[in-house]
Amino acid sequence: MTTIMTTRRAVLAGMGGLGALALAGRIARAAAPSAVNVGFFTETKPTMIAKGEGWFDDAVKAKITWTEMGSGAEINTAITAGSCDIGLATGSVATAAAIAQGLPLQLIGMVDNIGPGEELVVRASAGLKTPADFKGKKLATPFGSTSHFRLLGFLKTNDLTQRDVTVLDMKPAAIDAAWSRGEIDGAYVWSPAKAKLLASGGELYKTWDVLEKAGYVIADLIVVRTGFVQSYPDAVSAFLGAYGKALDMYRQKPDEAAAIVAKQAGVSASVAAADLKEYDFISLKDQLTPRWLGAPGQPGKFAETLKSTADFLVAQKSIKSAPALDAFQKATRTEFLAKASA
Amino acid sequence: MSKAALPDWAITLLAALLVLALWVGVTSGGLVRDLFLPGPLDVWSGLQDLLDEGYKGRSLFEHIGMSLMRVLAGFLTGALAGTALGLAMGYLRPVDALASPFIEFLRPLPQLAYLVLLIVWLGIDESSKITMLFLAALPVSAIAARDGVRNVVPERVRAAQALGASPWQVFRYVIAPGALPEILTGARLAAGIVYGTLIAAEIIAGSSGIGWMILDAGRFLRSDYVFAGILIIGIAGFGIDRLLLWLERRVVHWAGK
Repeated sequence: MTTIMTTRRAVLAGMGGLGALALAGRIARAAAPSAVNVGFFTETKPTMIAKGEGWFDDAVKAKITWTEMGSGAEINTAITAGSCDIGLATGSVATAAAIAQGLPLQLIGMVDNIGPGEELVVRASAGLKTPADFKGKKLATPFGSTSHFRLLGFLKTNDLTQRDVTVLDMKPAAIDAAWSRGEIDGAYVWSPAKAKLLASGGELYKTWDVLEKAGYVIADLIVVRTGFVQSYPDAVSAFLGAYGKALDMYRQKPDEAAAIVAKQAGVSASVAAADLKEYDFISLKDQLTPRWLGAPGQPGKFAETLKSTADFLVAQKSIKSAPALDAFQKATRTEFLAKASA
Repeated sequence: MSKAALPDWAITLLAALLVLALWVGVTSGGLVRDLFLPGPLDVWSGLQDLLDEGYKGRSLFEHIGMSLMRVLAGFLTGALAGTALGLAMGYLRPVDALASPFIEFLRPLPQLAYLVLLIVWLGIDESSKITMLFLAALPVSAIAARDGVRNVVPERVRAAQALGASPWQVFRYVIAPGALPEILTGARLAAGIVYGTLIAAEIIAGSSGIGWMILDAGRFLRSDYVFAGILIIGIAGFGIDRLLLWLERRVVHWAGK
């Protein structure tokens, strides 16, 4: 009997603790956050300039804790768990899944339209010239990524199934290793793995332009935890502003920018300069046009991309269901972009 | 003992019902989202979905079959090689001196630590996955067999020798049966470790296997599939363990008596 009493007391105490936590969360609404957690990827993009030069820290007026993430899905999970406030340059596929699932995050800006930045690389000696040549071949890609989405789009638009082509789930480093052993015939991936494959017997099999026209647009985005957006709107605008500044610097002094990016990403300056040219970085002003995110009250076309991406994920059974277009429009908050670019 | 002691099976049943009731209570009230904790009905419909349509290009049974094949191959090769090595280590001191540093080093090593090496050395096909499971089973079996041999009562060995048994006969009729209970206990331990390593092994270039399915479904929080997969993997693991326990009791019915 006594044990039951103790347990009940413990449960009650636990519930009281939860309530206190919720209350504390409500009280902590201040102008500036005391600490900001940013999930990021080490990559060769202007975001690395703002990170390396400390512009992001200055913008949010707090010490940023940077956590390297393995995938956009990991950023989704970390934001949902409350241990990540901002996801920097997360993929559009992960973001579409997050919005469709009603995870507590909002899309506040873009970094780039991936375009040819992620592409199918095939072994030159394998003689893959037409889609039909891919039958019986092995292709690798990190599952759940924007590259995976494009590869599945490539198969679908060419009436190939995953029975015709073996699609393997591999991280970029594993792709590199499997390629050097001659075990895969191709991979849909991004640099540096893509560049390494191309340098060791690979050639591009161009898919991006056709796929982009067919609606398989992929992009890298900036997402923020909903609670953070509500509590610190000024920090959100300032964060975007810091990225805008970095992008301007890249446009004006590309060599100097490439040197900073190279140091942050741990690659040579020439590699960084070449990688930077692969992405179509979109200025904050352009993001506000109807072609991309749109302006406050006037949702842009990108919400449709997110919606069609989510529908594709439903067909793939990666997520259960996808809401209507307006859910994607509502989760896209462009007022911070407007403020940052004003 | 208190006067109202319940029989063990009733306590087990009550605990199971309590967990189920809590599960239903927490999930049906809308207290948590199905993304984080799917209700029993969600899991059930997820399981039916998997049974009807499979998961990403393969039927559910294909995934289960691939996983069991890997577990079986890794376990059998690892336990057999480990037992043979362990018997030799227990019987012949020089073999023990030679092999034990490697075995002792390998045993506590997390398999994920050498995952990338296995890919680089053996590639992405079944061989690297099965080798990983083999390496998980080997040291446990070897140590169990070695200790089994060491624990054989020395008087029995001496009695056999006094009766004129050759070293091989001593090994065959005294040492090996004497070590058998520990070997089988080691095999059960090894099966558990192999099973636990399965998900790590299926990280390697996956697109099949129940472990891979759980990982892939978890990426975008398809929690119904994750739960269904965990149920399958849990029940199969329990089944394997019971099977080995039954085998152990049948083969070494004298152990512990």
